[in-house]
Amino acid sequence: MSAVDDTHAARSAPAIRHPAPFRAQIGGLSRIAILLLLVLTAQLVTPSFLAPANLQVILMAVAAIGVMAIGMTLVVIAGEIDLSIAGVAILACVLGGILIPTGSPVLVIGVTLLTGLVLGLINGILVAGLRIPSLIATLGMLGIARALANIASGGQALYPESIGPYVWLGRGTLLGLPVPVLILLVLTVLAIALTRFSIFGQALYATGGNVKAARLSGINVAAVRIAVFMLCGFCAALAGMLDSARLSYINPSGFEGIELSVLAVTVLGGAALSGGKGTITGTLVAALIIGVVNNLLNQLGVSIYLQQVAIAAVILAVVLPDALKRGTGK
Amino acid sequence: MSDATLKSSSASFPSLVTLLRAEPLLWLIAAIIVTGAVTSEYYLTGQNIENLLRSVSVFGLLALGMTVVMLTGRIDLSVAATMIFSIVVGVKVMVLLGDGLGLRWLVKGNTYAGPSLPFLAIAIVTGCAVGAVNGIGIAYFRIAPFIMTLVSLTALRGFNYVLTDGHPYYLRSPVFAFIGDQVVLGIPFSTLVFLAVLVALILFVNGTVAGSRFYAIGGSERAALYAGIRTERFVVLAYMISGFCAALAGILFTARLKSVDAPLASGYELTAIAIAVIGGTALSGGVGSPWRTLLGSLVFASGLNLLAIWGIGTWYQNLIVGTVLIAAVALSRIGRPRASS
Repeated sequence: MSAVDDTHAARSAPAIRHPAPFRAQIGGLSRIAILLLLVLTAQLVTPSFLAPANLQVILMAVAAIGVMAIGMTLVVIAGEIDLSIAGVAILACVLGGILIPTGSPVLVIGVTLLTGLVLGLINGILVAGLRIPSLIATLGMLGIARALANIASGGQALYPESIGPYVWLGRGTLLGLPVPVLILLVLTVLAIALTRFSIFGQALYATGGNVKAARLSGINVAAVRIAVFMLCGFCAALAGMLDSARLSYINPSGFEGIELSVLAVTVLGGAALSGGKGTITGTLVAALIIGVVNNLLNQLGVSIYLQQVAIAAVILAVVLPDALKRGTGK
Repeated sequence: MSDATLKSSSASFPSLVTLLRAEPLLWLIAAIIVTGAVTSEYYLTGQNIENLLRSVSVFGLLALGMTVVMLTGRIDLSVAATMIFSIVVGVKVMVLLGDGLGLRWLVKGNTYAGPSLPFLAIAIVTGCAVGAVNGIGIAYFRIAPFIMTLVSLTALRGFNYVLTDGHPYYLRSPVFAFIGDQVVLGIPFSTLVFLAVLVALILFVNGTVAGSRFYAIGGSERAALYAGIRTERFVVLAYMISGFCAALAGILFTARLKSVDAPLASGYELTAIAIAVIGGTALSGGVGSPWRTLLGSLVFASGLNLLAIWGIGTWYQNLIVGTVLIAAVALSRIGRPRASS
C-alpha cells in the first residue's frame, strides 16, 4: 500500500461519501445562519453597516481572497492542497507586468492568466504524474515561483497604470457593481455549475472521497487532479491581477502568507482536507463571514493583529461542532 | 509498509559501513562539504562552521519536533509562531512579576534586564502549553491537525504583535550572551543544546516502548487503538514535544539576536517540514526518525551555507531550495515499488 493510499484509507475511514450529504447541507445552513447573525449584530453595533457603500467595501475586500478560495476549494475537494497560490499569483502578475511596455492589454492579461494555468499544470503533473504529495510539491512551487517573480522583476514593483482594461478589472464598475465583485459572482456561478451539475463534478467528489473506487469505476484520477490544479492556478493568477489592478501596483513580494488565509476560508466553508467534501457556496459564505467580521472589527477600531486572533477564534468556533460530531480520529 | 519501516527505523546506531550504505543523505552531505572545501577557501574556516552549526541548531530543533508530530501522521504549522510567542510571553510575564515585586525589569529602550533563568523556564513552559493545547484540540476535540495548528499559527502571530505592540524587546544578560555566543570545545553552545535534545529524542523515540507508539499510531491509528494504546495521550505528547522544541529553538534564536520581534521567523514552519521530509519523514506518518532529521537539517543547512558562500543571491537560493525539495521527494518515490495510487 502506498503512503498516499494509507492516508486516504485512514482519514476517510467510514468510507463512502456522497457529494453534499444531508449533514453537510445542514452544516451549510448553519453557516448561513452564522453569517446572518453576524450581519444583524454588526448592524446593531454600527448603524451604518448595511449602507450600500459599506457593503461594497466588504465585497471588494472579499473579492480576491474569494476567487482564490474557489480554486482552493476545488483542489481540497479532490483531496489535495495547494500552498503555491501566493507564488503563482505573483509570478503570473510579474510575467504579465513585464509586457506592460508593449501597451497591449490582451498580451498583459493573457500572459498573466496563461502563467497561472501553466504553473497549475506543473503542480498537477508533479502530484498526479510524479506522485509527489501535494503539500510538498506546492510548497516547493511556492518557493520557486516567488523566487522567479523576484528574479524576473529585479525585485522592483511594476505599474500597470497605462493599460486601461487592466486597471478597469480592479477599479471599474459594470451594471452598478465593482468589476472584481462581478468576477467573483460569475466565477462562483461557474464553479457551482462545475461541481454540482457536471460529470467533472462527480468525478471530482469521487476522486477526493475514495481514490481507489474512483479509479475502479473508470474515472481518470490523474486528469481530475491536473485539472483542479490548473483551475486553482488560474484563480490565483486572476485574483492576483484583481488586487494588482485595484492598487495599480504589481508587488513582487506581495500576498505573503495568503495561502493560509485562503485555506482557512476553504475549511471554514466546510471543505475537509481529507477530500471528497466541500461546496463552493460554503466557501463563499465563509469568505463573507471573514469579510463581515473584519469589517465590523475595523469599524470598532480593533487592531488588525487582534483581528487575526478573532478570525482564529471564529474558525475554531465553526469547525469545532463539526469535528466533535465526526468522532473518528485524525 | 510498516514492517520494513519499523525495522529500518529502530536501528538507530548502526555501524559506520552499514550507515554509509543505508543513508544516501550522508553521501550528499559529504559531497556538499567536499565541494565547499574545494571551491571556497572560507568554507572550512572555524567561523563558517560555527555559523553553519548555529543554523543547524535552530532549524534542526524545529524539524525534530515536527518529525515526532509527523510520525503520528499529523502536522504542526504553529512551530515558528510558538517559537516567538514563548519568548514574548517570557518577557511579558517576568515584567509583570517584576512590577508585582516593585522592580523594574524593563529598562530604557525596551530592554529586558530581569533574571534570565526564570524567564527561560517560563518560555519553555509556554512552548509546552501551546503544544498541549494543539494536542488536546486535535486528539480529544477531533479538530483536523492542519486546521488546529493553522488556527494556533494565526492566533499566536496576532498575539505576538499585540503583546509586543509591534516593538522589539532587547534581551541583555550574561546568560543570553552565553547561550547565543559561547563556543565550547569548538562547538557553539546552541549546537550542544540541539545535540542533547537529539540524543534524548533518539533514545526515547527509537529506544523505548512508549516511543515506538508514535510509529504505531502513524502506521495505523486504528490498529494502535485496538492494540490498547491510548492514542490520544501520545498525540498530545507529540505536540508537547514539538512545542518544547519550538520554545527551545526560540531561546537559541533570540539569544543569538539579543532581541525578539513579532515578525521574526515567519515561514520557518515550512522550512521545518521541508527538512523533516528531506530526512525521509513521511507526511502520512509511521516513517522517519530523529536521526534522519538530523541528516536532513545538515543537508539543508550545509547546502544553503554553500550557496551563500558562493555569493548566490537570496532569490536564487530560494529557487534552488524549492527545486531540491521537489527533486528529493520525487527521487525517493522512484526508488519505491509503484503502488496503485
